[in-house]
Amino acid sequence: MTLIIDDVVVPLAHFELEMTAAMSARVTAIFGPSGAGKTSLLDAIAGLRPLKRGHITLDGIKLSDLPARERSIGYMPQETALFPHLSVASNIRYGGQHDEQHVIDVLEIEHLLDRGVTALSGGEQKRVALARALLSAPRLLLLDEPLSGLDRPLRDRVMTLLQRVRDDFNVPMLYVTHDEQELEMIADEVIEVERGRLIRSRAL
Amino acid sequence: MSDASIIWFTLRMAALATALLIPPALALGLALARGRWRGKSIIETIVALPLVMPPVATGLILLKLVPHSVVFTWRAVILAMMVMATPFVVRASRIAFEGVPLRYEQIARTLGANETRVFFTITLPLALRGIAGGVVLGFARALGEFGATILVAGNIPGRTTTLAVAIYDRVQLGRDAQAWDLVAAGIIVAFVAIWLSEKLTRRRA
Amino acid sequence: MFRLLLIALLALPLQAAEITVSAAASLSDAMTEVAHVYEAKSGDKVVLNFGASSILATQIVNGAPVDVFLSADDAQMNRVATAIRVPLLSNKLAIVGAPLPKARRIAIANPEGVPAGVYAKQWLVHRGLWASLAPKIIPAENVRAALAAVLNGNADTAIVYATDSRVGQVIEDSPSISYPAAVLRDAKNAAAARRFLDFLQSRDAATIFRKYGFIVK
Repeated sequence: MTLIIDDVVVPLAHFELEMTAAMSARVTAIFGPSGAGKTSLLDAIAGLRPLKRGHITLDGIKLSDLPARERSIGYMPQETALFPHLSVASNIRYGGQHDEQHVIDVLEIEHLLDRGVTALSGGEQKRVALARALLSAPRLLLLDEPLSGLDRPLRDRVMTLLQRVRDDFNVPMLYVTHDEQELEMIADEVIEVERGRLIRSRAL
Repeated sequence: MSDASIIWFTLRMAALATALLIPPALALGLALARGRWRGKSIIETIVALPLVMPPVATGLILLKLVPHSVVFTWRAVILAMMVMATPFVVRASRIAFEGVPLRYEQIARTLGANETRVFFTITLPLALRGIAGGVVLGFARALGEFGATILVAGNIPGRTTTLAVAIYDRVQLGRDAQAWDLVAAGIIVAFVAIWLSEKLTRRRA
Repeated sequence: MFRLLLIALLALPLQAAEITVSAAASLSDAMTEVAHVYEAKSGDKVVLNFGASSILATQIVNGAPVDVFLSADDAQMNRVATAIRVPLLSNKLAIVGAPLPKARRIAIANPEGVPAGVYAKQWLVHRGLWASLAPKIIPAENVRAALAAVLNGNADTAIVYATDSRVGQVIEDSPSISYPAAVLRDAKNAAAARRFLDFLQSRDAATIFRKYGFIVK
């Protein structure tokens, strides 16, 4: 896939996000300190934030002309944001049921399907959120600090799952993190962001 | 006109008035909670006016604006009740919608939902408790409505005489015992209404 | 076919008229009975709207569809445009409770607008008593409230209508109290309204009004 951020400007609270970049790896990490604008960049790509200027193109399709619901972008936000009033099953099926069994097996959530989401553990919530994003058959997956809030052993477990998803499903990922070790384990390419600007990009 | 028929009439009118005002009030509450448009505070002030103005003043305004075919009919009763109950439902729903985290709606959109689906499957279910509280308060307000009703609907026994108007009427005519009968009935009805609202809105343990 | 239709149409009873009558609250019982009798006699429907004369007049002034208005005083009737106006009934004042010289608190309806209060003040002024009694006057929201004040012990004396209390002492030199009745200028059903006004002035109606203690002019 090729994701092109073309002269994009997004106004934020304290500064403007200003970026031109091209990403074509299987997993591109977006690395930077907190407050750098990484989440806002994901929001802009997903269509949840308007652009002041510029275009975003994915595989030749001008995303920035489309509303969020037509962009086919799966989003796993930092807050996880599972719908609290729906069961696990209803949550993951909200965007469709494409190849459901495979996703459920890989993420090991079969036994959670009938549960309410508020009683899930941190690790379980992450897996359900990932399943929800995957099941909408996205062209691109956005992951915002997917390992945040998990303790050491859980982080390893979930990272293993993420690697499996990267390998089993053919979906490119944008992976936001502020942890260098994390991105070493999963990313092929890194772009570094600071205060809304692209500082550096390199291959791993 | 029997006590029972006055109470039944008032209950029916209040229920219909509340039901009719829910869709526009929810729409307005949503627009105030989510929208970013000029004149928001003006609209909010107008909506709150019936809460603050003397009901008789509201009644006078309604009398001027309403066509002759509606004045002195049950439709005027409904109208007065709707106007007085609106602030409760709009404000409660606005606060309830504001309390639904934007993130949920955003994720729903990335999953392909259009605005209608987002509203009915995410926003509304999560705001329902707060809205229900406002609806019950609005209903209770409609039940007790007097000042505006008496001006625009009059006191026509059998046609527009509501519970509150009937109580005042009987007190005016010195029929205290009969007035007390209606007062007792009114208290019971209000009690049941508030009790029901508590049941509806209390968080399940 | 056409002839059959014509005959059928002629056989239909004439559409009954419906008139809206706004009447002062103090006339509730009397007017309910009068209207009942009239409906049986004429076949017309009388829709009665009771309330304070001031509120009734306000409704009319603001365009409410009323055909006939019975007010508790001339002041409120003067606010509305009438086609035919007649002085229909009268009343007298009465003193309830302790005699005036002994009263420390005297309840009357609000003299600033409630007809009963206006008349009470008028009489006190006429008797030269207003200046000395004014500090003892408690204005009540309406006549009923004034009466209730005495019954509850919040006032020693009340000045009310003779029709309000059987135990009061009637004031013979009451001011001229008038309950005018009128067909309104903008009445939608003017003909039916006039028929009703005629009935109000009839002997049958007079009997009913007297039964409730009113004086018929």
